[in-house]
Amino acid sequence: MALETRGGNLYYYRSVRDGEAVRKVYVGAGEIARISHESDRLRRTSQEAERERRQAELERLEALGAPVLELSEAAEVLAQAHLVAAGYRRYQGKWRRVRST
Amino acid sequence: MSGALERYQLPAEVRERLEELRELSKKAEGGEKGVRAQLRRAVAKCSPTVIAEASDIAQRAQAMLTGTIAAGEPLMEEALGRRLALMREEIAGENASPLEILLTERVVAGWLLVEVLEGLIAAQYYKGAPTSSRLPPSYIIQQSRILEGATRRYLAAIRELARVRKLQAGAPVQANTQVNVLRG
Repeated sequence: MALETRGGNLYYYRSVRDGEAVRKVYVGAGEIARISHESDRLRRTSQEAERERRQAELERLEALGAPVLELSEAAEVLAQAHLVAAGYRRYQGKWRRVRST
Repeated sequence: MSGALERYQLPAEVRERLEELRELSKKAEGGEKGVRAQLRRAVAKCSPTVIAEASDIAQRAQAMLTGTIAAGEPLMEEALGRRLALMREEIAGENASPLEILLTERVVAGWLLVEVLEGLIAAQYYKGAPTSSRLPPSYIIQQSRILEGATRRYLAAIRELARVRKLQAGAPVQANTQVNVLRG
């Protein structure tokens, strides 16, 4: 998006994506150019802030689960070690007692 | 990881012990001679520390989650604390081994996390929210993945506890998990 000055006049163009290419679309001149440019700038800032807020919320949700994940992994390893130590092993996804030879 | 989250991490020494147990279990399951006896010794030696540290993490995690969902309401916090204590008592039962108590803590923490996440996510879909705050699909997908992961871990925790109990009792194992997807 560009605000251009030519011959003392202000012109505003928006960049519009058209497939792979980016086209420059004329919006207006003079006061319209200035207002459109300012309005686009405010919209972009607001969208950026909203994106950051959502990202922070996702990070917060993930952070809430981190301690439970830590606990889960520790409990899992310990439980499996107990079972293997007690003479079990996994066979086709199921736990079976190992026959002593 | 931020400093706040480090509070909820196991100490490096405990992590090393867990890694050692994981390796020995793998070797013993693979049939390496003499490893099972070595694993038994390691389990006996490491269990008390690992259980104590992991239980400590569980308590702190539960306090953090309770605080989050209660949002500063002491009555709500108190009610949740009692609910968790009842759950613990009901799930662990009488004469539970230290391992069963740890697995119970895991189930309780897993349940609480799912409840908290569901509550926080549902609040964003509140009917009265302005249409300008409508969430993009990519964000909804990410939220769902987080909740799905927590639910999966919660169900795995229930299965693991059931498995340990049945195997310790010498009975054949079958752990069915029922999930009620429709709530009022």
